[in-house]
Amino acid sequence: MTLQQQIRANRRRSALLVLSFGLVFVLIGLVVQALYGGVFLPVIAIVAFVYAAIAWFANGSMIASWSGARPLEPGEYPELRHVVETAAIGAGLTEPPEVRIVDDPAPNAFAAGRDSKHAYVAVTTGLLQMMDRRELEGVVAHEIGHIRNRDVRLMSLAAVLVGVVALLADILLRVAFYGGGRRKGGNPIVIVLGIAGLIVAPIAATGIQMALSRRREYLADEASATITGDPEGLAHALWKLKVDPQEMRHANRATAHLYIETPLNNLSGLRGALSGLFATHPELDDRIHSLERLGGFRLAEDTGAVTATV
Amino acid sequence: MVWLYVVIGVAAVLLLWIVYAFNRLVRLRNEAQQGWANIDVQLRRRADLIPNLVEVVKGYAAHERTVFEEVTEARAALQQAASPGQAGEANKRAREAIGRLLAVAEAYPQLRATENFQRLQEELTDTEDKVAAARRYYNTTVYFYNSRLQSFPDLIVARLGGFREREFFELEEAQAAEPPQVQFSATP
Repeated sequence: MTLQQQIRANRRRSALLVLSFGLVFVLIGLVVQALYGGVFLPVIAIVAFVYAAIAWFANGSMIASWSGARPLEPGEYPELRHVVETAAIGAGLTEPPEVRIVDDPAPNAFAAGRDSKHAYVAVTTGLLQMMDRRELEGVVAHEIGHIRNRDVRLMSLAAVLVGVVALLADILLRVAFYGGGRRKGGNPIVIVLGIAGLIVAPIAATGIQMALSRRREYLADEASATITGDPEGLAHALWKLKVDPQEMRHANRATAHLYIETPLNNLSGLRGALSGLFATHPELDDRIHSLERLGGFRLAEDTGAVTATV
Repeated sequence: MVWLYVVIGVAAVLLLWIVYAFNRLVRLRNEAQQGWANIDVQLRRRADLIPNLVEVVKGYAAHERTVFEEVTEARAALQQAASPGQAGEANKRAREAIGRLLAVAEAYPQLRATENFQRLQEELTDTEDKVAAARRYYNTTVYFYNSRLQSFPDLIVARLGGFREREFFELEEAQAAEPPQVQFSATP
C-alpha cells in the first residue's frame, strides 16, 4: 500500500466511524423510544450529532485535557522542540506540529489532532528523562509518522467516539450493579438486554480500537525509520519501553490505543487475563523484530545493546 | 456501430488514464518542490548564521584572515547557488569552512565559554540536523518522481506536459547504490 492509499483509507474510515457512531445512537434512541415512548429518539440523535460534530473538530484538545497534555512553556525543553522540527522536515510536513508535555514519570508518547496542520505530538517527562537523543528522535519520528500517514484523525476520533462508548458503558455497568438495584419494576427483558449491551459495547469498542491501531503501529515504526534513517534508535527506545514497568497515571481506555506503547500495563482481573486478546498494541518484541529486519541489526534481549550487524 | 462504441470507450479510458497519470506526476513534483523548499530554508538559515559567527570569532582571533575569507566566500556561493547540484557543492564547501572556523575557535577557551558562541554553535548543529533530514526527504521524493518520469507509459505524458527530471541534493554513494526504502508492506 502506498502512502496515498493509506491516507485515502484513513479518510474513508474516519467518515465511516462517525457514521456508525451516529447510527448506533439512532438505534439506541429507537429502542428506548419503542420501550418508553416520549421524545428519546430526537433528543438522543441531537446529542449524538452535536457530540460528533464537536469531536470531529476538537478531538485534539479533548484528548489533551483527558491525558493531561499541556503546551510547552517558552524555553522549555528546547532540544525536544528541535527534534520535533527536524522529524517534521524529514517527513515532508509543511510545518512542524505543536509539542505538548505530559507530566508523568512513565515513558510514553502519542500524537493526536484533526489533521496534519492541527495535530500535536505529546511526550511524557518520563520519556524525556529515559531516552537519549537518538532514541527520542526515533519515538518522535514514530509520532510524526502517524501525522504524515494521517492516522491522527482516525485514531483521535476512535478515542473520542468509540472510546467514550467504552468509558460510558463501564460507568453505567458499575451503576447498574451497585447503584440501581433499588428501583422497582422495570421490564426484565430490557434490563437483561441493557446489561448485555453494556457488556458487549466496551468489548466491541476495544475491538475497533485494536483493529485501527495495531497495523498502524508497524507502519509508523517504518515511517520513523525512513524519517530518521536510523531504525536502531527507535528499536532501542522500544526495548527501553518494554523493560520499563511503570503505568501511566492519566491514561484510560478511551485513549490507550493512541500511545506508542500501551499505557495500561497492570490490568487486573478478567481484563488482565484477556489483555492479550484485546491489546490495542502489538507486542513490542514483534515491533523490535520488524525494525531489526528493516535495519539489518539485532538487539540483545537482556541489555538492549546492538549485538550484530548483518 | 459497435466499432464506434469500442473506439469511444477506448478513447475515454485513455483520456482518464492520461488525467490520472498527469495528476500523479504533478503530485510527485509538488512533493519534490516542497522537499527542496525545506532544504532551501535551512541553507539560508545557515548562510545567515555565518556573519554572526565570523564577528564573534573575529573578536578573539582577528589575525586568522584566510579562514574568515574562506567562510565568507563559501557563504556567497551558498546564496548564489541556483540548482540542487550547485547548492550541494556550496553546502559542502560551507560545511568545511565552518569546520575550520570552529577549529580556530577551539584554541580560545574564553571565546568558547561565551554564551553567544555557544548559542551559535547549537544553532549550527540544529541546521546541520535539519539539512540532513530535509535531504533524506527530498532525495526520496526525487527518486520517486524521476523513476515515474522515466518509466514507460508515464514518460509520454511527462514529455507532453513538460515535466523535467530533478537533481538530487548531496547524494551519498550508499544512497545512490540503494534506493531509499519506503515500503508500506503489510507487516503482520
